[in-house]
Amino acid sequence: MASQNAVLHRVGLALALALLLVMPWLLGSYQLRLFTEAVIFSLYAVSYNMLLGYAGLLSFGHAMFFGWGAFSFAVALNHFPGIPLFGAVALAMASTTVMGLVVGVLLLRVKGTPFALLTLAFNALVFAIGIKWHSVTGGDDGLSIACPPLNLGFTALNVSHGANLYFFTLVIVGAAIAFAWYFTRTAMGQSVLLIRENEERMRFLGYNTNVSRLILFVLSGALAGLAGSFYAILNSFVSLDAVSIEMTTKVLLMTFIGGTGQFLGPVVGAFFFTYVQNYLSDLTDNWPLIMGALFIGMVLWVPGGLAGLAAKLSGGRKQGDQDGTLAGME
Amino acid sequence: MGEAAVFFLHGLAYAGLLFLVSSGLTLVFGMMNVLNFAHASFYMLGAYFAYSILYLTGNFWLALIISPIILLVIGAFVERFLLRKVHVHGHVHELLLTFGLAYIIQEAVKLIWGTTPQAMPLAGFLADTVNFFGVVYPVYRLFIFCLSALLGLGMALVLFKTRIGIIVRAAVDDSPMVDALGINVPMVFMGVFAVGAALSGFAGVAAGPLLSVFPGMAGSILVDAFVVIVMGGMGSLGGAVLASFIIGELQSFGVLLFPDFSLALIYMLMALVLVLKPEGLFGEKQ
Repeated sequence: MASQNAVLHRVGLALALALLLVMPWLLGSYQLRLFTEAVIFSLYAVSYNMLLGYAGLLSFGHAMFFGWGAFSFAVALNHFPGIPLFGAVALAMASTTVMGLVVGVLLLRVKGTPFALLTLAFNALVFAIGIKWHSVTGGDDGLSIACPPLNLGFTALNVSHGANLYFFTLVIVGAAIAFAWYFTRTAMGQSVLLIRENEERMRFLGYNTNVSRLILFVLSGALAGLAGSFYAILNSFVSLDAVSIEMTTKVLLMTFIGGTGQFLGPVVGAFFFTYVQNYLSDLTDNWPLIMGALFIGMVLWVPGGLAGLAAKLSGGRKQGDQDGTLAGME
Repeated sequence: MGEAAVFFLHGLAYAGLLFLVSSGLTLVFGMMNVLNFAHASFYMLGAYFAYSILYLTGNFWLALIISPIILLVIGAFVERFLLRKVHVHGHVHELLLTFGLAYIIQEAVKLIWGTTPQAMPLAGFLADTVNFFGVVYPVYRLFIFCLSALLGLGMALVLFKTRIGIIVRAAVDDSPMVDALGINVPMVFMGVFAVGAALSGFAGVAAGPLLSVFPGMAGSILVDAFVVIVMGGMGSLGGAVLASFIIGELQSFGVLLFPDFSLALIYMLMALVLVLKPEGLFGEKQ
């Protein structure tokens, strides 16, 4: 049985990969752009779920990393003319990492509810900096960027739109998602899961739980920053919207609707949210009301999210907790 | 000197509003361990209900009475039919629920009342100014401060001088024990949640004529109220009084002294408290 499952698994994975590779030939340019956006938000949501699903840390300030990454990327491009594309992305991730370290050292002193509301306050602080620091961030006007071509040695590709952007996003963002998956499988990643379940016991076993949590927090922030810089490439523009509370709400809704108990839950949620939002916003300006109602309904009746629901319906439970939901936060 | 006095009084008025919002928030947190993200939305709803009542009847006093009563009912409903349902799933779900509620209320307000700020015109003596030790000062700001002081005093009397107050304080300390003593604790939770919502509604009505009524008003006071309860110590009423005063004055003088950094100032203060005394000024060490 088990080997049969593994074969099915591999076939499914190969099919999904093949489908991803032929996407540009299946979709029109508008649809492809939407799909690319969903891929970027998948990384954003996966990085968020490393905190919420794996560490049991409920953050209301994830947009501070997303927006910080987006702005660092734009600032790097505008202030260092001639910087290669990867240089700007690397700078954005590096600056988000440093920021994650500073914020993490301050915030991880508290847990549970105080942590949740302090993340919100820090998000508000970063947003306030974004408005006030007009000379660097452009304030309310935002920053437009001209994305440099990607130098591959033998040729230079313009990756700012279309199929090139899609493949560039798929490779880099996909690799980041794969890395996040790999990380949760390592002893390091697993230890965070165990700390969530019983921190005291982990301490007795000799783990420095504060350091484990900080590493996870910083990594999650850096991945969100990477997602942010791709969001900047996608729009050729960065506005304060990227660092707003709305952007935090977005990732929270995506992750929870998708399901926090399984690794792919946030990816499901990101695609669901992006497409449903796109559909609803054509029909009505009040789409957030519908999305909010859906979210409340899920909190009340489907706490495991779409992925949890699917796992329950198919009868199989892979990873995640017994009922497909996250464990309570102390 | 005159200018400083004016800014001090401005700070007091805002501190009053902040106290009305954060006292309910901190009591609910102390008792149910739920940080209610929708609490500031109750404040906003209070303001919008008052705006509509004032628009229809032209009577501010009627708005000041009816709007908090509507919020009392809404608060009881939210606790009984929504919050209690997700309680079994743990704190994360409770937080998520109130967060979702705040989101929905925000969008519903935009849908019903529109996004443009609405003014609430005052009439009678509330619209006057008073000569206060040589400083001409609007009566309404003093009224806000007196109203919140009065409500705060009433709350303190109920909490510390009545049997209901003893039960509430005991439930804040150890709700399973109170439950074991045969008191209907879920009922107490519902009551406190509803009264907290009504207090927030009072603050909303009072804030309407001062700050005008707009969909962003929930978000702006929510973060300030969070800073207040973190600084004061979560669950501590005395802490909420002191921290409201500090934040109110800091906001007021911050605008005067460092106009560009008044926002950052309160976060820095909070970060400082957090580093030096993570449990807050009056909080209990865990």
